[in-house]
Amino acid sequence: MVRRVLLVAGALLLAGAAYVVFSMGPRNILGMIRYDQRQEGRLKVGDIAPDVELVSLDGVRRVRLRDFVGGRPLVLVFGSYT
Amino acid sequence: MARRYDDRARFLTVYIKEAHPLDEWQMTSNEKENVCYRQPRTLTERVAIANDFVRRFHYDVPLAVDAMENPANALYAGWPERFYIVDPAGVIVYKGKTGPFGYHPEEVETWLEAHPPTAAALAR
Repeated sequence: MVRRVLLVAGALLLAGAAYVVFSMGPRNILGMIRYDQRQEGRLKVGDIAPDVELVSLDGVRRVRLRDFVGGRPLVLVFGSYT
Repeated sequence: MARRYDDRARFLTVYIKEAHPLDEWQMTSNEKENVCYRQPRTLTERVAIANDFVRRFHYDVPLAVDAMENPANALYAGWPERFYIVDPAGVIVYKGKTGPFGYHPEEVETWLEAHPPTAAALAR
């Protein structure tokens, strides 16, 4: 009986893994394993937002994050095209 | 969202290193959308991709680019995408989770709805 339960559980696990691989695609899974850089980071609610120098879209002019702070809340959106 | 809450908040997009470049974790969905770039090696390349993004989507939210040493991403752990809200005193009042699964614009909207601007803020 225990053996049968283990076999069924194993089969379900394999089926689940196969579904994940199929739905995401093997290449995406390999990419995630190798290149996933998600981090929680050290900042938390209540911390002062650290200033940082950024580059404007002309590629030349420098701007500072703190220049956007003040008056109203600032929504920061981190991301990229890809 | 930026347009809808323009009277309540300022918005700044921080363009960070690519999440799914050709030479790293390329996604099939990006190939279908013809979003195919290698990870930039120079600031010029990164800025060029950011400009492509702005042009393609007519993106009119203020946007600035992280330097090649990725200082903003190192501080804010923004990769691949993440929201923060910083109050006028410079204090972080909201930190979202990382995308894609933890990326929830509706949480930002909820915060903004719950914190209408003061008269003094509107006067500035």
